[in-house]
Amino acid sequence: MLLANNLSFSRNKVNIFNDISLSIGRGQIKQIKGKNGSGKTTFLKTILNILLPENGEVFWEGKNIKKNIFNFYKEITLIMDEPSSTKSLTLINNINFWKGFSDSTITDNEVLLLLQAFKLEKYIHTQVMYLSSGEVKKLELLRLIIEQKKIWILDEPYNHLDEGSIEILNQTFVDHIKKNGIILFASHFEPIITNLEIINFK
Amino acid sequence: MQIFKKIKLFFFRELKLFYSKITDLFSNILFFFLSIFVFVFALGAEKALMQTIGVGIIWALLLLSSTLSIRRIYEDDFKNGSLIIMHMGGLSYELIAFLKIISHFIFVQIPFLISIPIAGLFFNININEIIVLIITFAIGSLILSCLGSISASMNLLNKTNFSIGSLIILLFSIPVIIFSVGIINSNNDFTSLLNLLFGIALIFVGISPWSSASCIKLAIKNK
Repeated sequence: MLLANNLSFSRNKVNIFNDISLSIGRGQIKQIKGKNGSGKTTFLKTILNILLPENGEVFWEGKNIKKNIFNFYKEITLIMDEPSSTKSLTLINNINFWKGFSDSTITDNEVLLLLQAFKLEKYIHTQVMYLSSGEVKKLELLRLIIEQKKIWILDEPYNHLDEGSIEILNQTFVDHIKKNGIILFASHFEPIITNLEIINFK
Repeated sequence: MQIFKKIKLFFFRELKLFYSKITDLFSNILFFFLSIFVFVFALGAEKALMQTIGVGIIWALLLLSSTLSIRRIYEDDFKNGSLIIMHMGGLSYELIAFLKIISHFIFVQIPFLISIPIAGLFFNININEIIVLIITFAIGSLILSCLGSISASMNLLNKTNFSIGSLIILLFSIPVIIFSVGIINSNNDFTSLLNLLFGIALIFVGISPWSSASCIKLAIKNK
């Protein structure tokens, strides 16, 4: 269970959000919804201790994450709105980098099947800079499955995606919840997923 | 051990990045040679003059051409978030900075060593001096990589003015130039000056991962 307790954050003396609590148990999916500039991305970063909160604490399985931050990071895949693939490397090199740094045990064959599902297999030895922005986003979302982590934290996962890919992503979310995973994402778009809980930022 | 596997993977990735950006290295080396030509044409082809000032000019130009590439040490990985992925994979920012310094030293500075003997030909420097020049540059370039790492990480915080990073390198590389040109010009106390240069290199290897890491952390918080 991931628990955030009365988090507040301000930057340059401007208050971004105040006293926000959140708890997500295994097998739950939650969406953060709010206007532009309401602090959705900042909130996600604060949960991960990338930004230090002014007040409040984050707990993972009953322990404060600050005590052993790398144990917490071992469980997490973070996907920001900007793609994290390296533009001058090929697709397969990017995938191997993510695979190695997340201690994933996924086999090459499974990776190939994934690429086929997203119709990316013909670009496997192409540098990422030659892909379209939608394809780069799809490659980014492959990290969810490649890294094999329990907690998925996503910022605007639906940007740049076509309808078919949105359906695949929703299905992936549902499958992950069935395996007792935890999903937290921020988006304007309201996807059709059963048991989706929405947290509204002011 | 997991961490050694990740370090191996890090260097493998740096090698791939080096291959994909090898034209940058060639253009840096070309910059080095063209600026030597500019000097030769500006000073005239006087043999004795060339021999006396040659070593100093080669060192100064090596310094300037290696500052061209420092900007790329962290910038790309910072912009696309690869630094955060590496950190979440279990490497601390200090270790990442240290590995970046080593990989910059191997993939950017070492290829410059090959160009030194060729540059020596233009100034008619004898073979003993060239060997000493290569040894001093091998140590001095490690210091330049450390300084480059500090200035590149400071530049992550600074979004508009890049030249300020080069100023830091030029300022702190003055002792490096003093000692390394001093080694070549003084024949009798070769080892003591070389030890001093080694000492400076060790100090910077010790300091720069920590100072770069704290700059990276600040930059990630202000992104």
